[in-house]
Amino acid sequence: MDVFEAIKGRRSVRKFKLKGVERELTEKLLTAACWAPSGGNIQPWKFIVVEDRTILDMVRKISPGYFGETPLAILVCSDKVRAHKVGGLMGRDYLSVVDCAMATENLVLAAYALGLGACIVKSFSYVAIKEILEIPQGIEPELLVVVGYPDATPAPPRRIPLKENTYLNRFGQSFQTAEA
Amino acid sequence: MTEKKNTGNEYLFELALFLATSARNCIDEPPLYGPFRLLDALSRLSDFPEHASGLDTDPFLKKVKIFVEEKKFLVMSDVEGFTKAADELIETFAKELKRRSAHSKNDEQKGSVH
Repeated sequence: MDVFEAIKGRRSVRKFKLKGVERELTEKLLTAACWAPSGGNIQPWKFIVVEDRTILDMVRKISPGYFGETPLAILVCSDKVRAHKVGGLMGRDYLSVVDCAMATENLVLAAYALGLGACIVKSFSYVAIKEILEIPQGIEPELLVVVGYPDATPAPPRRIPLKENTYLNRFGQSFQTAEA
Repeated sequence: MTEKKNTGNEYLFELALFLATSARNCIDEPPLYGPFRLLDALSRLSDFPEHASGLDTDPFLKKVKIFVEEKKFLVMSDVEGFTKAADELIETFAKELKRRSAHSKNDEQKGSVH
């Protein structure tokens, strides 16, 4: 799939079919995530793949932003200890977060290209997810990605046009585009 | 993956947990997530009789649930539409309140001795 088609076609899916995600596909998603850019090549990400029905159910119940039942959820965490060791304060406080966000974007684009649906969830209980998934100190849950085969795909939301958020050469100077 | 129906107690616990986690998250989340979570809670609450013995399904609340499910995600893309839907919902509730009040007043009058 063309990368631009994936970028424009991907939606946040919140309704899924009752069908499991093959492990082979899960591995592809994780590989895509691991090839994200990383400041200083820290690669601060840690992934917790949740397939167990009981654990998935607990994660869903403590996540108000988790809609529908899915066969798979992947928690993207940042390793603050590694990020600090390799990248100093900037690594720990900033790069670790943006790197995880970039990895997550790769993951959801790969999901779309493989015919899966995904939704990035930040609305989970930080305290509860650490308890349920037994996450140690120094590892911070950043984003939860719920994955499955889509049962319904929402319409694309409005995007702010380039002319409203893009400037040429200096802030405030109009950037002319061909778009309407 | 199979769908499992919760018992009343399990459902109540899940709803309570949803409210507790939402309350905490709403401190940090975008302000509009508050009304969104409340509407989502309303939708979930409408299902409670299906899981609890001794409670009848309320047809009005079932209709409310359908409406909320249709409209709640407007919060992500169309705040004006979301607000309008919330107003429409309250108007429907107000009409239902009047209908139920009139009904219970009639029942009272029927039961009273003059």
